[in-house]
Amino acid sequence: MSAFVRQVLAIAGKDLTLEARSRERLVSMLTFAVLVAVIFSFALDPTVRGRSIAGAMLWVTVIFAGMLGLGRSFASEREQDALLGLLLAPLDRSALFLGKFLANLLILLVTELVIFPVYALFFQLPLGRGVGGLALVVLLASVGFMALGTLFSAVAAHTRLGETMLPILLLPLLLPVVIFAASATQHLLIGRPLAEQASALRMLLAFDVIFVVVGALVFGAVVEE
Amino acid sequence: MTEVQTDSLASTRRWAIGLSLAAAAGVLATLWMVFFYVPTESTMGVVQRIFYVHVPSAWNAFLAFVIVALCSLGYLWLHDDRLDAIAVSAAEIGVIFTTIVLTTGPLWASIAWGAWWVWDPRLTLTLLLWFIYVGYFMLRGATENPERGKRFAAVLGIVGAIDIPLIHLSVLWFRSQHPKPVILKPEGPTADPRIVQTLLLGFLSFTLLFFALLLLRYGVERMRRSVEALRYRQAMDSPVTHDSQGVYR
Amino acid sequence: MTAAPVLEARAVEKWYGVHPAVRRVDFSLAGGEFLTLFGPNGAGKSTLLRLLSGTLRPTRGEVHLNGQPLQYGDPEWRARIGVLSHQSFLYGQLTAEENLRLYGRLYGLPDLPGRIEGRLREVGLWERRADAARGFSRGMIQRLALARTLLHDPEVVLLDEPYTGLDPHAARVLRGVLEQLKDGRRTVLLVTHNLSQGLELADRVAVQVGGRWISDEPRAAVDAARFEHVYTERVGGAR
Repeated sequence: MSAFVRQVLAIAGKDLTLEARSRERLVSMLTFAVLVAVIFSFALDPTVRGRSIAGAMLWVTVIFAGMLGLGRSFASEREQDALLGLLLAPLDRSALFLGKFLANLLILLVTELVIFPVYALFFQLPLGRGVGGLALVVLLASVGFMALGTLFSAVAAHTRLGETMLPILLLPLLLPVVIFAASATQHLLIGRPLAEQASALRMLLAFDVIFVVVGALVFGAVVEE
Repeated sequence: MTEVQTDSLASTRRWAIGLSLAAAAGVLATLWMVFFYVPTESTMGVVQRIFYVHVPSAWNAFLAFVIVALCSLGYLWLHDDRLDAIAVSAAEIGVIFTTIVLTTGPLWASIAWGAWWVWDPRLTLTLLLWFIYVGYFMLRGATENPERGKRFAAVLGIVGAIDIPLIHLSVLWFRSQHPKPVILKPEGPTADPRIVQTLLLGFLSFTLLFFALLLLRYGVERMRRSVEALRYRQAMDSPVTHDSQGVYR
Repeated sequence: MTAAPVLEARAVEKWYGVHPAVRRVDFSLAGGEFLTLFGPNGAGKSTLLRLLSGTLRPTRGEVHLNGQPLQYGDPEWRARIGVLSHQSFLYGQLTAEENLRLYGRLYGLPDLPGRIEGRLREVGLWERRADAARGFSRGMIQRLALARTLLHDPEVVLLDEPYTGLDPHAARVLRGVLEQLKDGRRTVLLVTHNLSQGLELADRVAVQVGGRWISDEPRAAVDAARFEHVYTERVGGAR
């Protein structure tokens, strides 16, 4: 196993182990998401069918829940200055980025695994049909989201405003993800075929590739003191 | 820390003055053409003339961001503080022109289309650019260590520049999915050559204006950093506050 | 001691805006040398250590390791340096063993289980290897951090006030390990307020005040009693 991959897995494993033990990010993200679903249920006029805006509701919820989790992604490193310990090691900064990115992605995917069924329950969404296509959309959108999210959570963690900077920085940049994901999700939920979403999926994939690479390349400049 | 380089600052100032004069001439000529030369556009009326300011401003806003992105890339790579100085100067001018676009746009829209804001792809993109600029300035001021703030802003500049085309594509795609009843034709009937001439002069003079402002702002920025460097050198030569003799002898 | 310098600071300065943390430090450490650095709080000793460890870039000047200037983009040479600070760089929710295993994997160390056992036994924490680090006392944390510092067998060891807040037992363990570091092939820079401990192990003694080194002497040239008296008087009190 190459040293780089070993380092990526060590970092990802460390973050996932920490999260598995404390579960604090998962719990806060899930609680937030369910509460937002409840609020949506009551904020929406009963004559509005949840199904017609499900795509939008879902992705707005995912984006804000995701940012909640991202805000904590560097918390463990701040405790005993552990980030400095990591930077002292012969650790490729790109490997540090990819490790954290993978852990953040997995945590988000677990959260989404709960959010989507909950919304299906609250708004009578037909999750059964096209669930494979939905999974693909969720995966592609989450990758892009977490790529930029991991990069900017490191930035925000080192500013005076901290986590509150994250939405200001991320939301404009994530607009493409929201547009393509919400649209594709909406179409799949109303029964349109996956093939029709091809252009949206292609754009999401392009977004993913670009920002995983860019994130890995500039991460060194971000974590350096 | 930048050293004081008086000769390069002098040449910057010379260019800035030259460009300012050319820009002033160009902008005045453009304004003359806008009010006295160009015919009134048939469908939208007098208010359409704002377009000759609106469009070149948009060009400047995005040109500025390209410069921010390129200088940010250079700054991260070469650690040359001057590149950061150019970047922040370009960003300041860019955000001003972005604001001009976002104010002239609704002014025009309110009369041309009866609504203050329509999700016109170009205007939407400019709005998001505005937010990215805001983030850029917030990052510069939000860190304990100012050097780190510059680096963070540079990262945003680079990521933002790469994202802008993607945002544009996504907004266009979104509109193709949700066609709006109002069809937008900002250029109006393109037949009349006077419109094209005025627009071209507008582009030229606004570009000159941009570079004039950039050089002026850059000159100020360089001077500010030179003052800082001088203060630093003064602090460096000051004696140690504790005993500067040997501790024991 | 070998003649070639292992760690050098060449006209190193670190400025935060117009505030200087380190104002021009020049020195070189030969292989096998043990240098103790004293100085009051705020003298910039921790900043200097960060600069020497390559986690902070100097505003001016260069740091050289084995004759080569530090290449900040290339991580390979970092394996030759070990740093012990008053922050432990450890994760509270991981066990002692897991913490070391993480660092071992980052450093790409062979025979990791054996090394981990060796280091943990050395600092007396082998019995607690499966316990989460957040349950450890300050002294135990520091002992674990020491194990982490030496896990990859660095040739340059930088210690930033390691005695801070240690109970006598932990201090004894630390002292023992530091003595072993004087094996002739490791270069050590110890920053401490603890005059007796610092002087005891040093080959060379330096004092940093206001970001500058105001003295740098071989240990033999220093009379312990006079040093303590003048240091306390001039620099503002031992801790």
